[in-house]
Amino acid sequence: MTDDKDVLRDVWFGRIPTCFTLYQDEITEREAEPYYLLLPRISYLTLVTDKVKKHFQKVMRQEELSEIWFEYEGTPLKWHYPIGLLFDLHASNTALPWSITVHFKNFPEKDLLHCHSKDVIEAHFMACIKEADALKHKSQVINEMQKKDHKQLWMGLQNDKFEQFWAINRKLMEYPPEDNGFRYIPFRIYQATTERPFIQKLFRPIASGGQLHTLGDLLKDACPSAITPEDAEQKTQVMIHGIEPMLETPIQWLSEHMSYPDNFLHISIIPRPTD
Amino acid sequence: VSCRMAGEEDFFLEEKRFKQYCEDFVKHSKQIGDGWEWRTSKDLGDGYLSKTHFQVRNRHIPPDMKEKSSDNTEQMLFAHVEEPLDDSQATGVCSTEEVVRYEYHVLFSSSYQVPVLYFRACFLDGRPLTLDEIWGSVHASYQDRLQERPWDTITQQEHPILGQPFFVLHPCRTNEFISAVLGDSQEHHRHINYIILWLSTVGPVVGLNLPLSYAKLAPEQSIDADLA
Repeated sequence: MTDDKDVLRDVWFGRIPTCFTLYQDEITEREAEPYYLLLPRISYLTLVTDKVKKHFQKVMRQEELSEIWFEYEGTPLKWHYPIGLLFDLHASNTALPWSITVHFKNFPEKDLLHCHSKDVIEAHFMACIKEADALKHKSQVINEMQKKDHKQLWMGLQNDKFEQFWAINRKLMEYPPEDNGFRYIPFRIYQATTERPFIQKLFRPIASGGQLHTLGDLLKDACPSAITPEDAEQKTQVMIHGIEPMLETPIQWLSEHMSYPDNFLHISIIPRPTD
Repeated sequence: VSCRMAGEEDFFLEEKRFKQYCEDFVKHSKQIGDGWEWRTSKDLGDGYLSKTHFQVRNRHIPPDMKEKSSDNTEQMLFAHVEEPLDDSQATGVCSTEEVVRYEYHVLFSSSYQVPVLYFRACFLDGRPLTLDEIWGSVHASYQDRLQERPWDTITQQEHPILGQPFFVLHPCRTNEFISAVLGDSQEHHRHINYIILWLSTVGPVVGLNLPLSYAKLAPEQSIDADLA
């Protein structure tokens, strides 16, 4: 279906207008101007902020420089989460541009993973893809691929090359003709209010009777507090890539079309705005 | 690095069985004072094994003083740190002693259906050890092994229940070496506690040892009864 391919493109090319400001306590030799950037929803902060780093490093003393990290309203931002997930989870109902604070000191060791090089991002990205395929295909598809195919997935993400990425990724979205979907759906459900970073469990896309499980079925099973009965006041929103998919949407379809490049559905449960 | 999930021929672990093995493991640990406990998460009822202990980290260990072992259940697996000789070494005295707090957690990976070892270490002032500093405390013979076999790689990851950075021993080849030891048939191996077998293999790589008395542990009759 042409429409379905359009969804893949819309997901890939989603952008968030962002304003980066240097933390006021950082010592600078000159005034630091804010830096504006359109961030790709599907990528990772440390992968796309080289220009941000360069911009602020220009006004800082050389000795003061150590690993860059980002924070939004006091919350350190986990670079290993996709940017779109971070925005949906923390800032989706606030005014654009998204205001992120840049730090070079006092790295929050208890909150953030270190990211000393692009290799760390690649390793994390590939580990997610492999885990997703373990769930979908018992790792058969990812293991049959050659190293160069793995590399192409990473290069496609790094260089923002939709066609290059999907040339390989489409194989990870296939399933045997006798089945009607993946073995299990790779997903994670996030709520900013919990200590637990996310909920993840085994969930089959097809019921024993052959019916397609829906997003609502998934939430009922993994996070029942996210579902409010229809007549009651909806206190929360279920958000993926900045939109609220209908709860009746088949989860197999969502997995094939609205996963992030790491092949996971990253789902945010956020408070519904009261206005 | 290629990973695979358990096929039909593999001995893989289900979460229920994992919990039962952990329960037996903790019971024995309490009997011998080995410090393990089970922690249940408040929200979803899943949980993990946890152990915290303190070790003294020595720098400048002269060769004849390497066997400084205050606790016979924990061997001090500290590689000699390559530093220039100074007077303290000449007199055979250990300089800089630092106390390090190690924390080990065993969680269950539902994606790979295997246990996973998470760990972190920090000095008493709260400063966490870097991966390099932890590498330095991995016994030299294990360092070689880790370099040859990238599937045993240690990486920093987010703890799935606590949300904080931990170091993790990569889990995906677990089934291969476990299957190699246990063989194919599940029925023959109900009497082996998977957690003990697994932890005694991967633990020493990161400075965690199991006293030999765990080997005597026979699973409770309850495993077969509950899961029959």
